[in-house]
Amino acid sequence: MLYLLGINHRTADLATREKLWLSDEEIRTLLSAFHRQFFEECFIVSTCNRTELYGVPLSKHSFASDTELFDAVERQMIAVKNAGEEVSPEHFYRLKDMHAAKHLMKVATGLDSMVLGDVQILNQLRQHYYLAAELKTSGAILNKLLQTAFHAGKRTKSETKISKGAVSVSYAAIDLAAKIFFDLGEKTALLIGAGETGELTARHLVSRGIGKLLITNRTLGKAETLAAELRAAAIPFDRFNEHLHNVDIVISSVNSTGFVLSKTELDAVFDNRKRSPLLIVDIGVPRNIDPEVNSIENVFLHDMDTLSRIVQQSLQRRHECIPEVNEIILDELTEFHRWHKSHAVAPILDEVRAVYESIRNEELIQHIHKFRPDDKELVEHVTKRIIHRLMQLPASELRNGKDDTPEQKEMKLRMVRKLFGLNGESHSKEKE
Amino acid sequence: MKMIIDVLTVILPFFYLVTVIAYGYAFIPKKPAAKKFKTPLLITTIVVHLLYIILRTIYFVHPPIISVFEILSLLAFSIAASYRIIEIRTGIKNTGFLILLLSLIFQTISSLFIQDLYEVNPILRNNLLGIHVLSALIGYSAFTISAVYGLMYLLQYHNLKTNTLGIFFDNLPNLERLEHLTHNAITVGFLLLTIAIIIGVAWLPYAFEEYSFLDPKLLGTLLVWIMYGVGLFMIKLGKRRGKQIMKLAISGFLVSIFSLTIINLYFSSFHNFF
Repeated sequence: MLYLLGINHRTADLATREKLWLSDEEIRTLLSAFHRQFFEECFIVSTCNRTELYGVPLSKHSFASDTELFDAVERQMIAVKNAGEEVSPEHFYRLKDMHAAKHLMKVATGLDSMVLGDVQILNQLRQHYYLAAELKTSGAILNKLLQTAFHAGKRTKSETKISKGAVSVSYAAIDLAAKIFFDLGEKTALLIGAGETGELTARHLVSRGIGKLLITNRTLGKAETLAAELRAAAIPFDRFNEHLHNVDIVISSVNSTGFVLSKTELDAVFDNRKRSPLLIVDIGVPRNIDPEVNSIENVFLHDMDTLSRIVQQSLQRRHECIPEVNEIILDELTEFHRWHKSHAVAPILDEVRAVYESIRNEELIQHIHKFRPDDKELVEHVTKRIIHRLMQLPASELRNGKDDTPEQKEMKLRMVRKLFGLNGESHSKEKE
Repeated sequence: MKMIIDVLTVILPFFYLVTVIAYGYAFIPKKPAAKKFKTPLLITTIVVHLLYIILRTIYFVHPPIISVFEILSLLAFSIAASYRIIEIRTGIKNTGFLILLLSLIFQTISSLFIQDLYEVNPILRNNLLGIHVLSALIGYSAFTISAVYGLMYLLQYHNLKTNTLGIFFDNLPNLERLEHLTHNAITVGFLLLTIAIIIGVAWLPYAFEEYSFLDPKLLGTLLVWIMYGVGLFMIKLGKRRGKQIMKLAISGFLVSIFSLTIINLYFSSFHNFF
C-alpha cells in the first residue's frame, strides 16, 4: 500500500501553495509525527510548486477507511502550517498504490513540472529524500520507489530532450551565444540598459561563467548598482562605443526611439576586432540596434522575434518528448512493480526456509552420528539440496502468479503463513 | 584468402552504410538506440577495413596504394579512422554522419572498380614510398575532414545569420569549435603533404629515369600545397578568419580531389603505376 497526499501548481495558486510550503525543519517535525502515528514509512517533498507526502500506512491502524486516514493527515498538515483559512480539501489530491508511484515518476521526470521538463525537481527530491533517510522514516518500499524515481529522472535527462532548450527569452539569448562561442569564460559581454529582461539575461550570462561583463545605462548609478551586484564593470552610456572592439556579446534593452548602435558606428570599430564574431541580442522594443549591422561579416544580430521562436520551438520539442518519457516511466514502474511483488513474498519465503532449516538441523543433530565421518559432508550437502528443491516450486508460484488478483495473492500468502505456522513465531519456539 | 578479400570488397560499403545510417539516426531524430550503437559500429567498420587492407597487402604482395581505387579505399579508411580520433579527442560525436558519408562514397567507388593487381612496378618496392604515400593519404584525409567541418561552419553561419532554426542549428557544434577543428585539420594536412612532397622529390631521381617536374600530377599537388600554405600564412597574419578559412578548406579539398582523381585517370603521368 502506498498513499500520496499532495497540493501542486495544478490544484492551487501560488498564494495557497506558499501557505503549505514546508521548511526542512518543518518537514523533519512532520515526518517524525507521521511516522508510527499513521505510517510505517513516509517522505515529504516541498517546493514552490508542490508539497507532497508519500506514505506506506501502518499494517494495523485505527482508521476505518483510507479516506479517514487521508483526512487525518491532511488536517494535521494544515494545522502545522496554521493554514486553515487559505487551504481547503479541494486543493489536495489523493492517490494510492501504483497511481501514487506513477505520480512520483512524473514529478521526477519533469512531466508534472510547471515548466515541462524542468528537472530541477530531481535535486529537490533527492535533498528531501536525505531528510527522510536521516530520520529513518523511509524504509524498503520508499527507498526503492525513490531510487526508481531518481533513475527515471536521470534516464529522462540523458535519453530525451525534454529538459533541453531555452524556455525563456533570457535563456534563449545564452543558447544563441553557445552556438557561436566555445568558451564563454573567455568572452566579454556588454549589457546596454539595466532593464528587467536585460538584467535577467546578464544574470544568466554570469551564472554560465561569462569572462567579463560591462554594464552601461543612461543613469550611470543604476548600472553601477547592478555591476556591483554582478561583479561587473559599469561604463558611461555615451562612451560604450569605445568598448565595442573588445566585446563579443552585446545585449541591448533600452527604451529608445532611435537606434543606439548603427551600422556605420559598428563598421568603424570592426577592423580593430580582428574579424572575431560578435553576437548582438536586441531585446528592446522598439528595436535598439540598426538591423543593417547584420550585413557585416561575423556580426550576428538577433531580436525578440528570434528569441521568442527559440523559446516556442523548445517548448514544442519538449512536448514532442512526452511519449518517450512516458515509456521510461512505464519501464521503471514495471520494474518497481516486479520488485514490490517479490518484496512482499521474500520475508515469507525466508521464514518458510527457516522452518525447513530448523527441521534439518534438528534431524542432523539427532542422526548424524549414524553416518560415517567421511559421509557427514555429503549428508549436509544432500539435505541442503532437498530444502532448496522443496522451496523452488512454492517460491516460483508465489512470485510469478501473473493472473492472480491482489486478493488471491494475499490469500496465498495467508495460506502459507497458516500452513507453516508463521504468525510471527518461529517453528522452534512453537515446538518449545 | 582471395575469397575473404572478395567478400570484404563487397560487404565493406555495407559496413559504412550501416554506420552512416546509425550516425544519421543519432544526428537527426536523435534515436537513443542509434546513439548507443553508432560508435561500436564505427569501430567495427574500421577494424574490418583494416583487416581488408592487411589481407590485400599480404595476398597481392603490395600495399593497396597502386591504383586510384586502392587509394580511394585507403582514403575511406583514413577518413574514418581520423574521425574516430577526433571523436575521442574532442568529445564531439554528432558530426560523423556528414564525414563518414565521404568514407561511404569513396569505399563504394573503390569496391565497384577495384582490380586485382598481381604485377607491381618494381619502383614501388621501396621503403620511402610507404612514408610518402602514408603521409600524403593522411594529409588528404585531414583536408577532407577540414572541408566537411568547413561546410558545417558555413551551414551554422547561415543559420545564425538568417535566424534559421532547425536540425542543423540544434545539432552542429558552435562556430568557434568548428573553426578550430577546421584550422587544425588544415594544419595537419599541410604538414603531412609537405613531408610527402619532400620525400617524393628526393626519391624521384632514384626511382625514375625519365621524370618531369612539370608532370600534371606533381603540378596538381603543388597547387594544393600552395593554396593551403598561403591560406595558413594569411591566418597566421590574422588576415583570415571564420568564413574565409572555410572557403579555403572547401576549395582546397575540391582541388585535392581533382588532383587525386581526374588528373590520375585522364592525364598521362610518370606517376601512374597501373
